[in-house]
Amino acid sequence: MASFRAFLNSPVGPKTTHFWGPVANWGFVAAGLADMNKPPEMISGNMTAAMCVYSALFMRFAWMVQPRNYLLLACHVSNETVQLYQLSRWARGQGYLAPKKDEAATE
Amino acid sequence: MANPKLQALWNHPAGPKTIHFWAPTFKWGLTIANILDSAKPPEKLSYPQQSALASTGLIWARYSAVITPKNWNLLSVSFAMSVTAMYQLSRKIQHDLSTKNQEVAIEEE
Repeated sequence: MASFRAFLNSPVGPKTTHFWGPVANWGFVAAGLADMNKPPEMISGNMTAAMCVYSALFMRFAWMVQPRNYLLLACHVSNETVQLYQLSRWARGQGYLAPKKDEAATE
Repeated sequence: MANPKLQALWNHPAGPKTIHFWAPTFKWGLTIANILDSAKPPEKLSYPQQSALASTGLIWARYSAVITPKNWNLLSVSFAMSVTAMYQLSRKIQHDLSTKNQEVAIEEE
């Protein structure tokens, strides 16, 4: 109970914007997860590639900002993972990555 | 040799030698990507993604004003991102409403 109260009152806790900014960014992760099973034609190559660079930069930002923001860091690590996966799905759909079927056929 | 004002900018705590500069600068890339996607047909837009962009943009505009160092670049780009996302949302909603009306009209015939 005491540690929970400490969290509530911390400088990066839920009474501050340092908490809600990163919470809002988890929306990107949720959106990415929701879009995981959509057909690759619906994925925006522009947006997904931009997100990959964006999350990489913001991982560093979260580390360097005052106060240091681990919640934001966790969010961008997750988003990077999800967006890289979506990017690979898009690339495969566009024919940029060799389909796995060909590798099995040539063996 | 260098203009002192330029030097001050170069050495600023949120200046080009720091992540506080490049992270928000790149966020403009996200905004521009979204603007480029205005050319896409509304069926291809993603409700979850655009809603996330719109809401985080607004919250981050607030966040940028209270972190150390205060980051006006991040504030402006977050707000711009939110506006482009709201535009995309309105495009998709309008499209979905009009196709729904068309379907209803066809059924009624």
